[in-house]
Amino acid sequence: MTPAEFFADHTFRMVLFGTSVIGLVAGALGSFAYLRKQSLISDVISHAALPGTLGAFLFTVLVLGADGRSMIALLTGAVLVGTISVLFANHVARVSKIRIDTAMAITLTIFFGAGMLLMRIITDRPFPGKGGIQDYLFGNASVITYADLVTSIGVGGLALVLMVVFWKEFALRTFDADHASVLGFGARTIDALMFGTIVIATIIGLKAVGLVLMVAFVVTPPAAARQWTRTLPGMVTLSGLIGAAGSGIGAYLSIVLGDVPTGPLIVLTLFGFFVLSVLLAPGRSIVTRALERARARRRLKAELSAP
Amino acid sequence: MSFLLGTVLLAVVTAMACALPGVFVVLRRNSMLVDAISHAVLPGIVVGYFFTRSLDSPLLILGAALAGLVVVLGSEYLSRTGLLTGDAPQGLIFPALFSAGVIMVTLNFANVHLDTHAVLVGDLNLAAFHQLQIGGVLAGPSYLYVMLAVLVVNGVFLAVCYRRLKISTFDPGFARSLGLRPGALNTAFMFLVSVTVTAAFHAAGAILVIALVVVPPATAYLLTGRLPMMIGLTLAIAAGGALAGFWLAYLADAATSAGMAVFYGLVFAAVFTATRLRQRLRARRESAPAAAA
Repeated sequence: MTPAEFFADHTFRMVLFGTSVIGLVAGALGSFAYLRKQSLISDVISHAALPGTLGAFLFTVLVLGADGRSMIALLTGAVLVGTISVLFANHVARVSKIRIDTAMAITLTIFFGAGMLLMRIITDRPFPGKGGIQDYLFGNASVITYADLVTSIGVGGLALVLMVVFWKEFALRTFDADHASVLGFGARTIDALMFGTIVIATIIGLKAVGLVLMVAFVVTPPAAARQWTRTLPGMVTLSGLIGAAGSGIGAYLSIVLGDVPTGPLIVLTLFGFFVLSVLLAPGRSIVTRALERARARRRLKAELSAP
Repeated sequence: MSFLLGTVLLAVVTAMACALPGVFVVLRRNSMLVDAISHAVLPGIVVGYFFTRSLDSPLLILGAALAGLVVVLGSEYLSRTGLLTGDAPQGLIFPALFSAGVIMVTLNFANVHLDTHAVLVGDLNLAAFHQLQIGGVLAGPSYLYVMLAVLVVNGVFLAVCYRRLKISTFDPGFARSLGLRPGALNTAFMFLVSVTVTAAFHAAGAILVIALVVVPPATAYLLTGRLPMMIGLTLAIAAGGALAGFWLAYLADAATSAGMAVFYGLVFAAVFTATRLRQRLRARRESAPAAAA
């Protein structure tokens, strides 16, 4: 397939642009989750978004009597419940002796269990417009519509704007939490904002990628970007670019190859980026370190054997 | 044995088999690894099926457990390189393995017909469907005996390695200085967790497996600070929760695995709230005389 043919097709364009936007936003904002050492929170969010999405679906259909497929309604429900799950996990870890990994695992299973209960209720009853609701589990990139693309650009853009506006606060809270508190920045407020943007970054990809694989979009690009750069702006930019490029390449390959599902192929592409970075990045990667060590050993040997 | 009784027994035995190693999973801060293992198992099942050609083979469980071990050892390796921080290493490998599994299933590698949805959600009633017949007498679901075997293996491993596990969990440095090789012990333990998760997976599905491994020990941990007490409480909560959760899901005609997972979560939430209230009352009682004086 030539690139011209590729871009002439509406569905192909939507898949390519849609996944690239998801990769860009998730990659950029994932940097903060990575630096806060809580990357897996995105896995909790993506699972907790399921009851949020399905609850919003039931609410719009039963209470508002509107079309349950409204992307805005579903996103609102997902953001709301996703944020509640983050607050719950962090609260449990803060006030009890349960540690954060266990708190996250418990939150994930409670919320996802509730989501699967709702899923059974929805699939068992004849609600209008319930088609495609199953896509939220494993994702389906080929159903990205023009409206979906506009919504994810709008919502993702909002999250990126929040990040830029509160850049100083986010950076301070990430690298020196105590100093931020001493300066009088409300730790709770900044945390809520920062995790709120991470929630948005996670949920905009749910429909296209599915809740199981979304964690890779948030974790992998920052982990790859971190190997190439030492500054926060550099890391956020590079991570966003890696996310967008990896998603674009993965989506393109999945369409050209035919039967291969898009989400998993993007994840493997991103993983490839990560492996290359961790092996070969100059300055701090496995191969460069091994070479440096060998060079140092040679130098030492030369010095010792010199008369 | 009636079908219902057999299914309930399967639920209880699965819960106890998962919760027992869960005590150390929670104490060793590996809770999210269970989530990672449970997803990484998928390619293991597909590749295992390629060699065994049977979905019921015990070799399949071992093969899938090896895939789980890839996640554990891989993320430990990535952490050791010092190039990554936080919990990112755990989140890097399992989505890639899961993706590889999904791609293998869709490309019809090995002709395995797996419903990825069923793998994720699991169904106790389905797992209990194959009944074991001994001399013409129905002896309950055959998978019940698989899970009983896992429970026994877990119990024996913990009994034999109890002291070593305890020392290496609470003081890894001391364990190393005693020459206990905590690394090898950790690998053996995580392999056992991986086997347990894989075996329970078939009966419970991914969500309920995480709930079974993590929630009863975490609930017990809120209630006690002593390890033997914690193990006893964990088993009691796991078994009681399985009985009550199963019946509630049955009565409410809800999805069994999801219903049980939510029930365990509610038990945790109740205990969490109760311990918080007790803390607050105690704090008030202690501060009241001080204020009066």
